[in-house]
Amino acid sequence: LCLCFIVVEKGSPSSKNQKCKGKERGPPGKWTNKERVLIFSSRGINFRTRHLMQDLRTMMPHAKADTKMDRKDKLFVINEVCEIKNCNKCLYFEAKKKQDLYMWISNSPHGPSAKFLVQNIHTLAELKLTGNCLKGSRPLLSFDPKFDKEPHYALLKELFIQTFSTPRYHPKSQPFVDHVFTFTIADNRIWFRNYQIIEEDGSLVEIGPRFVLNLMKIFQGSFGGPTLYENPDFRSPNMHRREMRLAAAAKVREKQMVKEMQKGKKTSAKEDLESDVTADVFLTPAEEKPADIQTEAPEPKVVKKKQKAFKRQRMQMARR
Amino acid sequence: MVIGSKTMAFVEEEALLGQDSEEENSELSDDELQEAFAAGLLKPGMNVLVDKPKKLVNNVEGLKQCLADFRKDLPWVERLDLTNLPAANIISQAEEKASAPAAGELDADDDFQREMFFYRQAQATILEAMPLLNRHSIATKRPEDYFAEMAKSDQHMQKIRKKLISKQMIMERSEKAKKLREQRKFGKKVQIEVIQKRQQEKKAMMSAVKKYQKGMTDKLEFLEGDQKMNKESSQGSKKAVNKKGPSAKRKYKDQKFGFGGKKSGKKWNTKESYNDVSGFRAKIAHGKGGKKGKGGKQNKRPGKSVRKKMKNRS
Repeated sequence: LCLCFIVVEKGSPSSKNQKCKGKERGPPGKWTNKERVLIFSSRGINFRTRHLMQDLRTMMPHAKADTKMDRKDKLFVINEVCEIKNCNKCLYFEAKKKQDLYMWISNSPHGPSAKFLVQNIHTLAELKLTGNCLKGSRPLLSFDPKFDKEPHYALLKELFIQTFSTPRYHPKSQPFVDHVFTFTIADNRIWFRNYQIIEEDGSLVEIGPRFVLNLMKIFQGSFGGPTLYENPDFRSPNMHRREMRLAAAAKVREKQMVKEMQKGKKTSAKEDLESDVTADVFLTPAEEKPADIQTEAPEPKVVKKKQKAFKRQRMQMARR
Repeated sequence: MVIGSKTMAFVEEEALLGQDSEEENSELSDDELQEAFAAGLLKPGMNVLVDKPKKLVNNVEGLKQCLADFRKDLPWVERLDLTNLPAANIISQAEEKASAPAAGELDADDDFQREMFFYRQAQATILEAMPLLNRHSIATKRPEDYFAEMAKSDQHMQKIRKKLISKQMIMERSEKAKKLREQRKFGKKVQIEVIQKRQQEKKAMMSAVKKYQKGMTDKLEFLEGDQKMNKESSQGSKKAVNKKGPSAKRKYKDQKFGFGGKKSGKKWNTKESYNDVSGFRAKIAHGKGGKKGKGGKQNKRPGKSVRKKMKNRS
């Protein structure tokens, strides 16, 4: 393999120095760990998924690509595809409704497989992810200690290790270790990050891609077989969307109900307050007066107007 | 299907829910219901269909078995994997904040905390892995003359660099603009003060000149007084002037015509103002006050005829 490389170094002006450095990599060891991963997808994926797949292929030199598979085919067909391509691991991306992305990771002929819902995808091309690494360099894998605590996580850990770690002395790999993949468990999901190692004292920059995996099921066979584990916290995206819609609808309905109740209260006939039983306690009826019927109109009263002096004059008089 | 039963009168215990009907796929036709009733599986009253709680598979044994079969015992050099907790958080230690995810849950919604957690986990991995890698003589730093293709192209890295630079520029510009705005405000204040001072000086000068013209003062010190005043009063009278502030007339006018405050109700009588007779001058009220009492002008100028007489006399 004599490949011509292009100069790329972060921070330096791009000088295109073409040197063939094919075999000058130190003592070439034998490539014994024959892992090959098949990365492909179904039809109906969007641009982000496509870029994510490409990024994973870039990051993993032991990966192979394949054409899109029709979703109508049964899943066990994938096993045959893997056999044809001579791959023993598979990462299959399945897109549904052009919205939800599911990822299958499996060990091809007999081994276990797992299905995840993928969320929060950020690809290599995002300008906020500023790190860079050699294409095909081997990654360090970093796992959360929570992976050792549960049997299903332990199985997933083993699956990740075998799939994501680049075999030593792989022809397309670079012998340097300059980036690290982290798998962390938070909120019942697996968070994936990829960092570039700048200094050996631990300063890092994120390269990308990054995504979040929500485990659905683990199967004993590859793309089939008895279910070994089902995630109790998993809610399918459809159910999630439905719940949001129901919540919104419930809110509106509640508001309407409250309004109607208020209207009803206003317009309903107010009941008369019952007569108070104790109201008669203090009634002391007066004696009956003889009815005095006047036959003639009473004389008009003559009102004499008092000649009152004005206030000021009154005060003056008072003082005098 | 599990048939639970609730009668109208009383509610049965959940023990009855355990009664699985044998016909799993029964469609609950009338005949079948009658049979079930006859068999004693159903009680009279309202019978409600209750869903069996979903049982999720967690085949621990199966998982362990699978893992044992599937596991490849590769040397560490092939796998390069490490499991560790995140490195100590220096920042939170410095601030002496008790970081909540010390050993417990990581809050996935707090973005910054979460990303720092991942970062520190990666850091811890590196710190642990470096000696191991050195032992296996795997390099982490590539030599200066090693040129190879990178995951992101040169063009892309340039774009990133441009974006970072532009962000920095924007921040700098906004900082500059803020500072300028502050300065301008301050400058405006200074300007107003200077103008006011000049106006006051002019006023003082004019009044001094007028006094001299009218013959009230025959000292011409006000011409030179400026220089003296500048030295002495610049420290002294500034304080005095500021104490007086706006004159009483100004204050009254501000109160009456100035902005702010409710004025429409100020001319209405309140209980206190109605009962308040302190402003009552009896003499003036009874018309006995006369013109300002007797103290208006002591030096009243005599009339024309009197003046003529005086003139002719002298």
